[in-house]
Amino acid sequence: MDATAAKTLEIIGLSKTYPMPGGRSVPAVRDFTLDVAPGEFVTLLGPSGCGKTTVLRTLAGLEAPDAGEILLDGRSITRLPAHRRRIGLVFQNYALFPHMTVFENVAYSLRIRKAGEDAVRDEVPAALKAVGMEALGVRLPGQLSGGQQQRVALARALVMKPDLLLFDEPLSNLDAKLRVQVRGELRRLQKRLGTTAIYVTHDQDEAMSLSDRIAVMNAGQVEQVGMPHEIYMRPASLFVAGFVGQVNALPGRVTGHAGREATVEVLGRSFKVPADASPPPDVLVLVRPEAIRLADASASALGGVVEDLEYRGDRIEYRIRIGDALLVAVEPALGRRGRVAPGDHVGLELFTDALHLLPAAKNAAA
Amino acid sequence: MTAVAVDRGLAEPGRGWLLACLYPAVVALVALFLAYPIVELLARAVFADDRLSFAPLARVLGEPYNRQAIYNTLVLGLTVAVLGTILATLYAYAMTRVEMPGKRVWHFLALLPTISPPILMALSLILLYGRRGLVTHELLGLQTTILYGYWGLVAAQTLSYFPFAYLLLLNLFRGLDASLEEAAGTMGAHPGKVLTTVSLPLLVPGLAGACVLLFGYSFADLGNPLLLGGDFPVLSSQIYLAIIGQYDIPRGAALAVILLVPAALLFFFQKHLAARTAHASVGGRGSVRHPQVRHPGARVAALIVCGGVSLVILMQYATVLAGATTRLFGINNELTLRHFTAALTSSRNALVDTIGLGVAASIVSAVVGVLIAYFVARTRAFGRGALDFTANLPLAIPGTVIGLGFALAFNHRPLLLTGTAFIIVIAFSMRALPYAIRSGIATLQQLHPSLDEASTNLGATREQTLWRVLLPLVRPAIIAGMIFTFTRSVTTLSAVIFVVSPHWSLVTPTILSQMDRGDLGEAAALSVILVVLVLAVIHGVPRFIGRDWREQA
Repeated sequence: MDATAAKTLEIIGLSKTYPMPGGRSVPAVRDFTLDVAPGEFVTLLGPSGCGKTTVLRTLAGLEAPDAGEILLDGRSITRLPAHRRRIGLVFQNYALFPHMTVFENVAYSLRIRKAGEDAVRDEVPAALKAVGMEALGVRLPGQLSGGQQQRVALARALVMKPDLLLFDEPLSNLDAKLRVQVRGELRRLQKRLGTTAIYVTHDQDEAMSLSDRIAVMNAGQVEQVGMPHEIYMRPASLFVAGFVGQVNALPGRVTGHAGREATVEVLGRSFKVPADASPPPDVLVLVRPEAIRLADASASALGGVVEDLEYRGDRIEYRIRIGDALLVAVEPALGRRGRVAPGDHVGLELFTDALHLLPAAKNAAA
Repeated sequence: MTAVAVDRGLAEPGRGWLLACLYPAVVALVALFLAYPIVELLARAVFADDRLSFAPLARVLGEPYNRQAIYNTLVLGLTVAVLGTILATLYAYAMTRVEMPGKRVWHFLALLPTISPPILMALSLILLYGRRGLVTHELLGLQTTILYGYWGLVAAQTLSYFPFAYLLLLNLFRGLDASLEEAAGTMGAHPGKVLTTVSLPLLVPGLAGACVLLFGYSFADLGNPLLLGGDFPVLSSQIYLAIIGQYDIPRGAALAVILLVPAALLFFFQKHLAARTAHASVGGRGSVRHPQVRHPGARVAALIVCGGVSLVILMQYATVLAGATTRLFGINNELTLRHFTAALTSSRNALVDTIGLGVAASIVSAVVGVLIAYFVARTRAFGRGALDFTANLPLAIPGTVIGLGFALAFNHRPLLLTGTAFIIVIAFSMRALPYAIRSGIATLQQLHPSLDEASTNLGATREQTLWRVLLPLVRPAIIAGMIFTFTRSVTTLSAVIFVVSPHWSLVTPTILSQMDRGDLGEAAALSVILVVLVLAVIHGVPRFIGRDWREQA
């Protein structure tokens, strides 16, 4: 399979409202704007009902937006019907045609577009080979496992050399182990082909491991667009911080700001924390559980009481009370189980580089 | 949805004795009132002078006139099946996939024939196109009998029965996984291609089912062939003439058996085909929000199909209404209520009897249907497979045949029931039993057996579980089944024509005899009353207690 010239995608001000029974209407997507570079893999991440699937279906031409434009390589496709778009979509339930063999499923788009039987003979096996399914072309979809169906669905989307590849939670029907394996394959295949891709999921692990960039969505709007580590380390809102992982949000006060560093008072102590712009005086200090290290109570300036702990195999999760605040801390379990027990006084050390400040006003702890 | 049976015998010590007693009672009922009449009918056809003999069959088959009737029946059935399925497919596609105004109206009008006596079509066609028809005679001045024969029957039966195929296909079109059609769209298929390469291939079992259904309705139809048959004899009308006209029972029975064979074969062939080609749903859950075609050409075409067919149906009903409210339709168009007055006085008994017996039948079929559904879906009672099969036979057997079976089986001792209300109620309710069972089983299968187990675990007996847990959940299906039975009962002609008596008259045979006498006005008035009555029940009852039975697959 050859890589096709990758396309840029611009989504400008997309809005879509669904009418509800009873005359009301529910905005599914509000003023959604996103630029995607050629060959980029962008994930729309958000809880169910946040509008991510609506955006995807609008890109595929399965829904008509109320407002906004979709440009592919600078040309508007907003009003083009689905069958004239050449955009591959891998469905959540795969949507393989049950009455056609694997081969016929993959050949479908070529035959529909009258590519000729020569093209079918060449390209269908190549697409099946790309997903490791070349031996199963004669099977019916009903005779395949979930993982195999998923691969056929991918081959079927790839064979038409799409301008854009769309994925609608394609791994959600696979079991956990297979999901990790397939997402690695998916990532390598997309990089090799260089096709611009949009991926929809509510699973932050999937989003982190697959994407060049992630757009976190909430209630029909984009909360933040950024590379996975930006989203995780420098979330734009408490919602984003909480959606991509566990986080301790502690009210703090900024007492000084110099260069790229702010001095912030939190938990009764003063820390120097990275900060770009000048932060407001009242802030939320975001502390990831893994940025907290347990130490001896006597050796640390910051101390608390362990309320309970959860053993997770590879790590241990602690709940630690410091005054009014209850902090979650995570440490790798390196055979040290039993070192600390509920009721123990422990010392705490924070990796100040990993702390992140949010204005308190806009992020009232929900 | 998986079929789940609770893995327990019926009779547990100390528990469920009432159900254990009811089971043999239900078995006996089905054996006596379904299996026995069919066996009796078969026996009459193959016994002569108390000996096994194929003489009656051979005699009937030897007559060229009968061979012509067999041939006609098949040709007519085939035409109606193909035409009706095409019409129903177009209609269902337009209703489910094309953006079009007036869908509620088109749906309502298309379903009108499903709740009307089929002879209503014959009546309106005669009024419009008959020897003295408004269009043929009055407007065009023709002396034509083209209506009486093949073409008239094709028109009357296609209009009467395509709505049943439409309902079947409507539910199938709605149930297709929408993501399959969307997937085809994203791969470059325009809506027409999606239909021919994805939707229709997936619906092949449903299309075959629609064909068989229409074939069956055409076979079973008696009213239209009697009124419009002319010199185009078909089997059902020949059976009627043999029994009622010539009182030649062996001949009628032999003809009935000849009608039964192809109908039953087709029915089982279709079941076999559906089981073999049913595509198990692949992958995870699908969506049912289907893409709507907005192409102007497609929308206009859909409007022409739905609007055109609706208009034709509407015209039939308008004609009957006009026939009922004018002195002599087409000749003396003075408005009058005298046909209604006449219908309500001279046919009052028929109306009262029909309603009363219809209500009784709907209760019987609901009770028996729920019990059989419970035994089949929730127990491992011995012989439940045979019970299910026998109780479902009315689906495969034309109404005329069952009706004749009833008449023959119960017109002599030890079970002399001819002339009683009982035999009419039984004929009504046995006819509708398969539908009551099917909707009961479908609903029960959606209820996980853990419900039964939870109830048992909490200390309930089987009766208490059925009564307090399952019945309330199955109630909508029961009510839908009762409305269905009532509708079928008050509009059927073929199933009761042989069991009516002077003591208990029914509306549809009365309409038939009025038309025979030439009292078209009174027949039209009675038809209007019947349609209004059924409409009131169908739209009134669910308003209080549930949904329209026709909406349920």
